[in-house]
Order: sequence, then structure tokens, then C-alpha cells
Amino acid sequence: MTKDKNVIEAEGRVVECLRSAMFTVELENGHRVLAHISGKMRKHYIRINLEDRVLVELPPYDLARGRIVFRYRN
Amino acid sequence: MDAKPFLSGLSGSAVTITRVADRQWQALDDDLVVGSGYAEYRADGRLFVGIDAWHADTFDRIAGAMLPELPAPLYTVVDEADAAMTDAWRRAGFTVGRREWEYVMPTDPQDTGLDGVLPPAGVTVLPAGEADEGLLRAVDRTIRDEVEAAAGWWQSMPAEVIIRPAGDTVVDPAKYAVAAAPGRYLGLIRVVTVNRSRVGLVAVRAGEQRRGIARALLAHALGALHRSGTTAAWTEVHESNRAATALFEGVGARPVSSNLELVR
Repeated sequence: MTKDKNVIEAEGRVVECLRSAMFTVELENGHRVLAHISGKMRKHYIRINLEDRVLVELPPYDLARGRIVFRYRN
Repeated sequence: MDAKPFLSGLSGSAVTITRVADRQWQALDDDLVVGSGYAEYRADGRLFVGIDAWHADTFDRIAGAMLPELPAPLYTVVDEADAAMTDAWRRAGFTVGRREWEYVMPTDPQDTGLDGVLPPAGVTVLPAGEADEGLLRAVDRTIRDEVEAAAGWWQSMPAEVIIRPAGDTVVDPAKYAVAAAPGRYLGLIRVVTVNRSRVGLVAVRAGEQRRGIARALLAHALGALHRSGTTAAWTEVHESNRAATALFEGVGARPVSSNLELVR
């Protein structure tokens, strides 16, 4: 059986593109996380740019990090 | 199900790697999913893998459980700037199969130098949406066959990821502008805008190259973007494709990143 992911999902906006393919994402509550792109997004060559609206997964034990799992159409 | 425990270093408890579906694995720590791995066939028939894990050791353990169970060759894609992810895949036995540069280019004719560039005599550029679909599909098929015969890498072009019926390579005919001669098309260019504008394809039939047709197609497409208020466009170029590199760098395109396709 596939387990639920037990992650927190939040929408946010990319406010900074960093080196090493990392991004600063500002969540809707103002909290900022350091995020990278999910494997599926990389595999499909989905690019993340400044100001993109994205969906981020946060691990339950480290809310300062995140993984971008979806990019919304602006 | 296949379950392999190990200590993750996260909480001291055992992390278990479980194959939860035919091509899907999960790493569980105290019933929390702390990583996942998956494999997926792309439209070109190649098997691509991906691993998402919050820690490097979890990544390595998922890779160790997953990769031996899958048929070779396996592929994955990383941003070359993502050194940690690239290293992780190298640890798993992957090597670089290809490198593709991403370019950004201006659209303003004053910057591209394409102001006044026209196709050669006897050739007309038809704007996107005006191409005859039958002739468009014919020239697309012909060019793909020519490239495959000459360079042999069209079938593995990484941008070709949209699932479509077998043999159908033109997803949306309305996205293509074409270079037309009487009764047939000589070349095509495809521009798609999703959040940003991307030149997904520019190609000319083998016997019609070096006549300025690709440059005229690019002048047309970038000019249309400029008139619509778009200031920049993106594209990707295989590092071995010298003609495309020269074409784009000749209009002021500059590389901004690179993708690595890794293979094991």
C-alpha cells in the first residue's frame, strides 16, 4: 500500500532564485522556505522562475526546507 | 512487498524501503514517508527514474533498493547547478549522457539584429495558425527522419516528453510558423508560451539549409513576441548542435543554465 506522504503542502511564490538550483519561496503566511525542485518536475523539464506561484511540500520535522512539486500557470 | 530496514540517522529508528507499486518505492521512518522513488517510461520509450528524499542517506538507500530492480538503461535529469543532486546520482552509478544548454534571448529586433531579415526568394513565412496541417505534418516527419538518419539523436531529444499517439509529433499545429515554398513546406518553428515563451523547435529540411530560412523563421517568431510585449524567450540546445548554437548566439542568446541527462 502506498502511504500518505505525511507532508505539509503550502502554496507560495518564488521570491529568489539561488545558486545550486535552490529557490526561496514565500508562503502565503509570509513564512519563507528554502526549496528545491521535485524529481518529477526535473524529469519533465519544468522550469521555475522568479514570481512563479508554486506548491511546496514541507517535511514535518524541518519547516525551513521545502520541495516544489507543482508550478501553477500564472 | 519488499521491505528493507536501515537506520536513517534522523530519529534513530529504522527506515524501511518498500516497493509499493510496480515502479514506485517509499522510505518510511516511524510511519512517515521520508522519501520516494519512481520510474516512468517516457514517450520515446526510455525509462526515467526519480528520487525525492529529504536526506542524502535516504536517497542512497532508495537508490540501492530501486535501481537493481529496474531494467537498464535507466535515465534521469538534473540541473547541472544542483551539485548535491548530481553527486547523489553519480553515487548511484549514473554518468553524464548528454548536456543541454538553456538559453535566454531578447526579442527586440534592435537587440537581435533581425530587423529586416526576410526569407530567401521564393520562400514565404506563414504565421502560426495559418499552416496547412497536412503539409506541416509532412515536413515535420521528413525533418525528423533526416535528423535521425544524420545525427541519430532526434528520438532521444529530452524536450519530447508530451505523451501523444504513436507517430504523432505535432501536438498543436496552431503553434507552428512555417517556411513555405509552392506546394510544400521547407522548415518550421514552434513557440509555446506557458508562464514564459519558449522556442521549442526550429528546423529546416536538409536540402534547404544554409539559405537563411531558420534565421528568417526566428526573426518572424521573435518579432511576433516583441510586438505582443514579450521581451525575452527561452530555448534549449544540445551541446553538440553547433548549427543551433550559432543561430541562437547570433541573435544575442546567452546560456543561463544547463541540464544533464544521466544514464546508468
